[in-house]
Amino acid sequence: MMQPWKLEPARDLGMPLGERLRSLRRECGLIETAAHLCWGALTRTYFALAHRLTVRGQEHLPAAAPFILAANHASHLDALVLASVLPWRLRDRIFPVAAGDTFFQTPLLAAFAAGVLNALPMWRRNCGPHALLQLRQRLVEEPCAYILFPEGTRSRDGKIGRFKCGLGMLAAEANVPVVPCHLDGTFAALPPHSWLPRWRKITLTIGEPLCFATTPNERDGWEEIAQTVEGSIRRLGGVELREGFPSQS
Amino acid sequence: MNAETRARLFGYEHAFDHPVTVAIALTVAIALLLAPLIILLLVRLGRVGPAQRTELMQRYRSWLVLIPAMGVPILLGAAWTILGIGILSILCYREYARATGLFREKFISLLVVVGIFAVTFAVADHWYGFFVALFPLSVGLIVALATLADRPQGYIQRVALGVLGFVLFGSALGHLGYMANDTDYRPIMMLFLLAVEANDVFAYITGKTFGRRKLAPHTSPNKTIGGALGALVLTTALVLVLGHYVFAGPPERQGAMREPLVLLGLGVIISVVGQLGDLVLSSIKRDLGLKDMGATIPGHGGLLDRFDSLILAAPAVFHYVGYVRQIGFGLDQPARIFSGG
Repeated sequence: MMQPWKLEPARDLGMPLGERLRSLRRECGLIETAAHLCWGALTRTYFALAHRLTVRGQEHLPAAAPFILAANHASHLDALVLASVLPWRLRDRIFPVAAGDTFFQTPLLAAFAAGVLNALPMWRRNCGPHALLQLRQRLVEEPCAYILFPEGTRSRDGKIGRFKCGLGMLAAEANVPVVPCHLDGTFAALPPHSWLPRWRKITLTIGEPLCFATTPNERDGWEEIAQTVEGSIRRLGGVELREGFPSQS
Repeated sequence: MNAETRARLFGYEHAFDHPVTVAIALTVAIALLLAPLIILLLVRLGRVGPAQRTELMQRYRSWLVLIPAMGVPILLGAAWTILGIGILSILCYREYARATGLFREKFISLLVVVGIFAVTFAVADHWYGFFVALFPLSVGLIVALATLADRPQGYIQRVALGVLGFVLFGSALGHLGYMANDTDYRPIMMLFLLAVEANDVFAYITGKTFGRRKLAPHTSPNKTIGGALGALVLTTALVLVLGHYVFAGPPERQGAMREPLVLLGLGVIISVVGQLGDLVLSSIKRDLGLKDMGATIPGHGGLLDRFDSLILAAPAVFHYVGYVRQIGFGLDQPARIFSGG
């Protein structure tokens, strides 16, 4: 008897287009791959020329998926900067986790977010634990690289806000490194209330990966993860810790 | 490009030159107009339940899109026909790749797609040498370049799936496009498409009426031996009658094509190979544990669920007719239209 082949149909097989674009099970084909590669080349060039992007700590990026890039969030440029510094061979595995109500509301925007940015939607209003569980499963199975902003929204004044628990629900008890990243200059380049980017310098500082394999997968653990990552990102940016924030050595 | 070639490629004004084209187009148009009335009548008589009615209407609406999508390019000109079949090949491959998981192997998938593009070019160019060469060349390229990934685990599976994809949707389906290089491609292709699709319908209807014993219960539980034989008889009769008019012309062009025995052979080939193509796709679906290959066509499933019987029948008919007929498919026409030879 011959060995049986492992044949796995696309996870989004038979889904209507609109549903497919918004699905967390979406898998990309040749056209999307080509779009990702073109977009990658375009954003790399753009950030190098227009924003003189400087990356510190590139050596901290894991060589292979799965991993999570967690960063402070102040601009639409943030996810694009983070995706642009990752290596080409990971291009199809990079998924920025984006707000469903902003990026997946209209069909055209959803097609761009899904087809070009390769974003996965997170619905802020009714994001149940089910969606996070699906994200968590996919992260390890495929494996993927997620780009995540634990603040849950863009900072309106450029200061780092409080980190939420969602990141913890993905990383707790999982053997997935979380890479803290600090972005500086994206707020000045494209703040939330503006539509046209300005020629400002952007600096990305990548910190040492953190692993939370032993942190319990429950509320206390999630909060611990959120605080640890927030502290780590604040330190990367040389930002003072919030008052009452547990200091870490 | 001479005037005759241009007329074949783009001459929509010649759409209804051949009487069989007119006859088939009219019959199909009338059938499309009458179908909803017949469904309504069957509902009134109580022969069809409400659930079956919605299914029938859904299928009918799909046909309302599919038939013009197949027929209009053929009527407009060979260039549109070849382009349409190129697009069909790509879409069929896409469905196959997503169903088997081959689409995750981006490099192999790209090679297959490039192969299908090349086949479409060879067909449009009427460059038979290249068309034939693309079979071993593409297969060789897939097998050879896949080694460059330096990932031997799963190599056979990746490569075999890629080769099967190219063979079915590039090479085999490409033969359907190549028929458009004949001066009289319109009646021939219409006869072929009509016979293949009618074959499916005949098998369905006779199967419902006379079908007792299952044909291949593990592969496709709905097919019966009665349906297969019914389709064989009816499709052969259809080809026998229509073929007599399609292949009208002097023997130095048509060879022995109009001999009843030869046309009988053509009908048997279309029916048997068409049904085998159906079973091929059923086997693929069963192996994958899927009910449909996709959801492209409401009521039918994926594109492949509808066009499966064409894929194997196209090369069989192409080579049968090419063997019997003096002029094969467009042998009397200038070759290498674009590349120049």
